[in-house]
Parts: sequence; C-alpha cells; structure tokens
Amino acid sequence: MATRTLRDRLLDPGETALAWALLSPALLFIIVIVAYPVATLVINSFFDIRLSRGLPITFIGFDNYAAAFADSMFWRAVKNTLIITFVTVPGALVVGLGLAMLANMPFRFRGPIRLALLLPWALPLAFVGLIFAWFFHSEYGIINDLIRRFGGEPRIWFNSPGLTMMAICIATIWKTSSFMALILLAGLQTIPASLYEAAEVDGASKWTQFTEITLPLLVPSMLVALIFRTLTAIQSFDIPFSMPGPGEESQTLAMYIQLNTVDYLDLGYGSTLAVFMFMLSMATTFVYLRYVRGDKD
Amino acid sequence: MNNFFTAKRLRWVAAAIVLLNGFFPAVWILFTSLKNEVELTAKPITYWPQNPVLSNYVAAFRDQPLPGYLLNSVIVACLSMLLALFISTLAAYAIARLNLKRRNLILTGIIAVSMFPLVTLMVPLFEIMRGLNLLNSYTALVLPYTVLNLPICTLILVSFFQDIPRDIENAAMIDGCTRLGALWHVVMPLAAPGVFTAGILAFVNAWDEFLLSMSMNAAVAYRTLPVGIQMYQGEFSFPWPTISAALVIALVPVVTVILIFQERVVSGLTSGGLKG
Repeated sequence: MATRTLRDRLLDPGETALAWALLSPALLFIIVIVAYPVATLVINSFFDIRLSRGLPITFIGFDNYAAAFADSMFWRAVKNTLIITFVTVPGALVVGLGLAMLANMPFRFRGPIRLALLLPWALPLAFVGLIFAWFFHSEYGIINDLIRRFGGEPRIWFNSPGLTMMAICIATIWKTSSFMALILLAGLQTIPASLYEAAEVDGASKWTQFTEITLPLLVPSMLVALIFRTLTAIQSFDIPFSMPGPGEESQTLAMYIQLNTVDYLDLGYGSTLAVFMFMLSMATTFVYLRYVRGDKD
Repeated sequence: MNNFFTAKRLRWVAAAIVLLNGFFPAVWILFTSLKNEVELTAKPITYWPQNPVLSNYVAAFRDQPLPGYLLNSVIVACLSMLLALFISTLAAYAIARLNLKRRNLILTGIIAVSMFPLVTLMVPLFEIMRGLNLLNSYTALVLPYTVLNLPICTLILVSFFQDIPRDIENAAMIDGCTRLGALWHVVMPLAAPGVFTAGILAFVNAWDEFLLSMSMNAAVAYRTLPVGIQMYQGEFSFPWPTISAALVIALVPVVTVILIFQERVVSGLTSGGLKG
C-alpha cells in the first residue's frame, strides 16, 4: 500500500505545479532585475533623457547611436577596453597556467599554496587597483625602487597613458590569474598520472608531454574560464577607476557608461553605450560557443 | 648542473614563487600601514618597517566612518547571500528533483544571467531605483546582488541535490513527510556542504562588488567598503599609510572567511567554474 501512495504522489500532476512554484521566485527576480531593465535599456537608447536639464523626454530615433559613432571619447573608451581584454585575457591564461603547474607539484603543505591562489581571487578589484597604484607610485612605489636597484630609469607611471595602461594590465593579470590557476589546477589534477608514465616509457620529453598531454586535456577547463574572464575583462571598471592616469586617457567603456549615467544623468546616451557593451558581450559569447561547437565537430 | 636542480630544490622554488605572488601585495600593504610619515618618504624606501607605529590605524578610523562601511558591507553581503540561497535552493530542487519538462533549458537560462554585463544592468537599474526613491538604500544593492549570485548558487546546489539518493527522500515521504518537508528535514541537511559553498561564493561576490555600489549608494550612510576605501583620497592628497591601514582592516573579514572555508571555496569555484 505504501508504495502505491508513493507512486500516486510522484505521478501527481501537482508535482509539476510545485516545481513551477519553487522556480517562480528565481524567475520573478530574473524578470524584474534583468529582463525588464534590459528591455527598458534598449527602449531608452532611442530617447533623449537628460535628467539634469529637466527637459521633456523625446523620441530621437538613432540620434544617440549617431552621437556615439561621432564621439571620440567613446572610441577611446572602446579602444582601452579592447586593449585590456586582448592583453589581460591571454596574460591571465599564461600566468595562471604557470601558477597551476607550479602549484601542482607534490608539496607536503598544500594549505598555504591554495591560500596563495585564493587570496588574489578574494580581494575586491577596487582594493587591487589601489594596492597596485601604490606599487607604481613614482616616488615611493616598490616598482620604481626595484627599477632603481637594477640600474634602470624610474618612470612616472601615471603621467603617461601608455604606462598607465601597462600598470592597469599588470594589476588585472595579477588579480585574475589566480582564479584561472585554480580552475586549471583542478583540471590538471584530473589528468591520470598513468598517461605521463606511459609517455615517459616511450621516451617523450617533458616538453612533449606538456604539449601532447597536458595542454589538450586542459582545453575544456580553459574554455569555461576564458569565456568568463573575457566577459569580465570587457566590463573592466574597478581597477582602471582606482588607477587613473592623466586626464581621462585610460577610461574604459564601463567607466564612460557610468560617467554618462550617474554623473551626467544622461540616461539616453548611457543606455546607448550600454547597448554597445551588451552587443560586445553577446558577440564574445557567440564566438566562444561557436568555437566550442566547432571543436566538437 | 643537473645536481643543482634537484626535484626538492625545484619544489621549494615553485612554492616560493606561488606564495610570493599570492601574498606579497597584502604583506606590502601591511608593512606600509605600519610605517610613519618620515619612514614612508625616506629614500631609498625601506622594506621592513623600522619603527612600526599604529597611528595610521587611528587615522583610518578618524578620517572616515570605517566601522559604518564595514557594517554596510556585512549587511548587504549577508542579506543578499541569504536571499540568493533561499531562492536558488527552491529553484535548484525543482530542477534537480521534480517532474519538470525542459529542466536543462531552465538551468541554462538561469546560468545565462551571469553572461549579462553588470554595467549594462546598472544603467536601467539606476533609473528604476531613482524613480522608486531607492537610491541610497540597502535594497538598491541587495536585490541586484541576489540576482547576480543566482546562477552560481543554483548550479552548485543542483549538482549537490542530484548526488543525494532519491530513496532517502522517498523514505521520508512514506513516513508522512510532504515534499517540502522532505526538502527541509532530509535533503537540506545532506546538501549542507553545497549550501555552504554556494553561500560563501555569494558572500564574497557581494562583498567585492564596486560599480553598482558606487553608482547606487553614494551617500556616506550606505557606502560599502570598496567605495568607502576610495574616499580617503583628497583632490590632491593621497594618504597612502592611512589607506593601507584601512585596506588591512577591510581585508580581515574576507581573509578570515577564505582561511576557514578554503576547501569549500575551491570546490565551489572549480565545480561551478564561473565568475572571476
């Protein structure tokens, strides 16, 4: 009898209803905090909404988009964002892979090693920006001190747009490579030792083992980490904000969006810029997914 | 030559590189926070603090309402963590266990939320919160952070729920438990490690967030730590020792969390493989 009532309960059409009831808070939150705002965003991008002027909201078609295309500050922000993305994503991957290989050695004490990889991940980006701004301080920073000790010429890092971008990229790579290392380390630990032993027997060099066994088997873990690393790089805000260079030369797209929206209260233009950011992210995801699918064929 | 690079020595070098890379910035900030003005401006710069002082810590509390920032961060991070855990537990249970068509599609949809750039959401959310008079409130941060953490929490919890044998639940239901009763009394205790892992990640994500916090809650009373720390700098002054002291204080909670829960954090990060 007991099994019968159980089966009744499992087959009860109420279960699907219960499932949707349990899903509803999550879906409600996603609709209210993501879907609805994104829809408003797209609509707003076609309107003139400059709250600071108190003018009525008017429909202006693609004027905001035309304005963006003619806006040199927008293009500079896009350029800076792309530089950060194309430097720090491969940079974090290479440094992260290096750290993962080092951390994968047979240590007796794993705790401190793991903590050393976790700490950069747990530090808020805004803190990392401040800490590295101090590292690159022209007078009392440790970077210039080391350069002096090795007989080099100290730089005034934040007086030059190029050097500022370099400092921003170094800070970003430091912050993000440890997360990459954690993911890759988990990947490394799933590779069976027998593969290396077999390669050893066949007389394969360490380098061959690395390129023929380690790298190919790490590709799945790399891809997941790369997608999210690229998406966050496109949104770079905290570190460049905390490490300002001369004027607004190192402004990123996210910083420019924030400036227009929160400081200038130009919600129409801010929305238009955010639509660009959105398309950039979607394009990135699309490219990666295509690559993933292409890889499987 | 080869004798020099013994496996043991190589291991020490590897450990030194990883440890130095991970800990140096935090250690350097700690050193800076202990230096007095004279030592800080000495040239060449000193590495180890010569005469450690605590005056910078006094200044950190004097110049900005640091305890207030800490409290705001704790409130926002805890509330959004609890809310995210509650909502994602229900959703994950439905996806993992209940009779639901297209469960994978629903899970993918929830995970896809993490692909949305936060900056993009910031613009309309700023307008909405402004319209609702919710700028400078905990709500303005707790609601977005909850959604921000839904994908990772749901993903982790689904995989934990799927690992719990169905028989245990069925037995509880035979004994007269309802579905939700079984979830609460039987499944949840077994999934506790997963709930913990998801909770820690949600906490750290909310604790670290800067852009929304700065945009929504600019008022002193509602500033969170990452925003508050930026306020020590004047227009032309940058009191580095004070900022360093404030950073050290701000780092204590999050370092404590990862120190205690490091295994959970690592398993959560690598199983979810999301966010950075």
